[in-house]
Amino acid sequence: MPATLQEVEVLEKRDGGGGRNRPPSGGNGGGGDDGKNQPKKRPSPSRYYTGVAIGIVSILMFFMALASAFLVRRGSIDWIPVHIPSLLWFNTVVLLASSGTLELARKRLASGDARGFRDFWLLTTALGIAFLIGQVAAWRILVGQNVYLSSNPASSFFYVFTGAHAVHLLAGVGALLYVSFRNFDLAKVTRTVAADVTSYFWHFLDALWLFLLALLYLGK
Amino acid sequence: MVTYDDGAGGPSERIASLTGRVFSTGHKTIGLEYLWLSLASVLVGMVLSALLRANTSWPDTAIPFLARFDSSPERYAAMRLLHGSLMVFFVLTAAPQLGLGNFLLPLQIGAEEMAFPELNRLAFWLTVVSLVAMTASFFGPLDRGINVWLVSAAVFSLGALLSALNFTVTTIELRAKGMTLPRMPVTVWAWFVNAILSMLIFSVLLAGCTAVLSDRLLGSHFFSAAAFLAQQPQNLVREGSLPVLWQRLFWYFAQAEVYVAMLPCFGIITHLVATFARRPLWKERLVVLALCGVGAAGFCVWGYHMFATGMNPYAPLVFAVLASSLGIPAAVLLASWLSTLWNSRIEFSTAVLFAIGFISLFIAGGLSGLFLARHDLAHAAVSEDFVIGHFHLVMGVAATFAILAALFFWYPKLFGRRMNETLGKMHFWMTFVGVYCIFMPMHWLGLLTQSNLLPDTQRVALASAGGAIRTLVTVATIWTVAAQSLFVINFFGTLLGRRKAQENNPWSASTLEWSIACPAPEGNFGSDAPVVFRGAYELAVPSGNALLPQHLSPELLAQKIR
Repeated sequence: MPATLQEVEVLEKRDGGGGRNRPPSGGNGGGGDDGKNQPKKRPSPSRYYTGVAIGIVSILMFFMALASAFLVRRGSIDWIPVHIPSLLWFNTVVLLASSGTLELARKRLASGDARGFRDFWLLTTALGIAFLIGQVAAWRILVGQNVYLSSNPASSFFYVFTGAHAVHLLAGVGALLYVSFRNFDLAKVTRTVAADVTSYFWHFLDALWLFLLALLYLGK
Repeated sequence: MVTYDDGAGGPSERIASLTGRVFSTGHKTIGLEYLWLSLASVLVGMVLSALLRANTSWPDTAIPFLARFDSSPERYAAMRLLHGSLMVFFVLTAAPQLGLGNFLLPLQIGAEEMAFPELNRLAFWLTVVSLVAMTASFFGPLDRGINVWLVSAAVFSLGALLSALNFTVTTIELRAKGMTLPRMPVTVWAWFVNAILSMLIFSVLLAGCTAVLSDRLLGSHFFSAAAFLAQQPQNLVREGSLPVLWQRLFWYFAQAEVYVAMLPCFGIITHLVATFARRPLWKERLVVLALCGVGAAGFCVWGYHMFATGMNPYAPLVFAVLASSLGIPAAVLLASWLSTLWNSRIEFSTAVLFAIGFISLFIAGGLSGLFLARHDLAHAAVSEDFVIGHFHLVMGVAATFAILAALFFWYPKLFGRRMNETLGKMHFWMTFVGVYCIFMPMHWLGLLTQSNLLPDTQRVALASAGGAIRTLVTVATIWTVAAQSLFVINFFGTLLGRRKAQENNPWSASTLEWSIACPAPEGNFGSDAPVVFRGAYELAVPSGNALLPQHLSPELLAQKIR
């Protein structure tokens, strides 16, 4: 049975206004500008948290597609395993440390210590950049061993996995810099929200790197 | 050409309004732009299909546009690719989800704007770039063209991902007060489920394109057949999987893409059926579950395109079961549409005709899909004509009917006018007859070419009958394409005409977008944020035959009833 009046009337009364009636039908197409004259207020921050969570799922799907291709391709006749440069382990420690300093920075922000926040945040950014430089150095080591993108399927996967991760990490560094240097009086979000969202993304990239490293190391 | 007469003022103002539009982050502007993009693509795509058919039926006749190109089979394949890409990406994906969804989703949930307007604008421009590049890839050498095509597919994926993110977050976060999940219109559910599905599959297409591009441009070895050729005699099965790898990634996307095109159409048709039947939707919750089911199963069935290319012997069974299980949500949707329509006093406007046409095509196309979903039957039925007939009926034409139904229904909300019903009905009947004359014979053609078990004499007789059927298909294609001029005349005639819609809610619909002026004004609901008091398809009194507006408060309702 369809809903009836009783059910409708249980609903909470709206305070003031008493519901929308049809607006006068004079609207002739140009439309009123009543939305524009009000001062713009910050939108509710929850959309950014939801957005980053959903974005993470999507990025994960991208890497899962490549990972499944990796697992299918592995073991074919032309597969020559890549010897992972030991520099990569050092890079991994740097990246893990950056996640730690990021959390320290957020703690400082929550306790209102703006200076401590900025120091740890910049330290995180520096560690992130150091990781990227380390990755480039690792590529150069491989190039020195004559292992190129076009050498064999294993090397192709190595370069594309590390490269795609580096591109995402570069975006993460961009977000870190944004949080450092943006004037948040003019922004749509508060510094806390921006720092939270950035940190979720950063930790995700950190975990993703551990997964990729394990895949490249164990799956070779 | 600039004219200085009515309304908009001098040229500088016009330029300002143009740049305003180019950089506007308003969801209605962007939604309309997607629709314009789709309209252009569908017209080009249709002309291409007519050219393709003409070339098949009368290969010796020189066709003006085609004469400029070499007549190699590759060129023909490239033209089919262009037809397919335009239709799938820029019509079937763009129009119902990105076009109508962008315009209507915030209105239907009572939001002022999408969650991330700037991303929305960026996504649109990525789509435009992709359209231009994909079209350009057809002209010029084919080898380079494929690279350009791949880049554009990747760019399109990126745009689709941003849009999907926007749709998902908007639906989760920006619903008006009182718009609980069960109260959302089914259209919103469909856009939402579809956005989640797009989120997952376009990532895979992006990954696939990245890998293929890297192979083609940088010489990497993701999909290379070198190993395959080197090892051919000894170990065929294992290495046989190599060229198949790209196919897997592609079909992972492409099979789900069918549901990406269809899901919003399901939502639109369900919405229209309930609105025009003027009664609650039959088993609304089950319908929503069915939409989720289509999304979930659509994500899992990628394997069934691979029956013909070889895979683990148990895999086809799994995929056949999954593909067949899509019949369950499809049956639920059908049951709901038919039960809602049953015994209702329905007014046969053009929108309703197209909705019923959709249901008819969906049944016809869905039934032939059963043959393809069964891995054992698929071997008998997989022939080009059969498959083309099947997916055009169910995906191409049915979805187009849903888009047309939606355009007739929401035209007042989009443009503040109503399209001509007489022209609309003529257009409907001509198209309806036309598409059946194209795609039903294609099924027969497909079965004819698979009739290897028959004695030779009968096969010769059948083959000669095939020629006549092919000509019929071509003539019907040209007829159907020509019939679309009625729609173009109707669409632009109404748009440029002086008659404006008199009422805000011409269809007595219940959802929020009809509570405001036509066309939807800037800022949507203005300062008076809407509050929702009930589901989208509810009656005032049990025996009544009018749907209650979602925004009507109980007090006002009580007054009205008294």
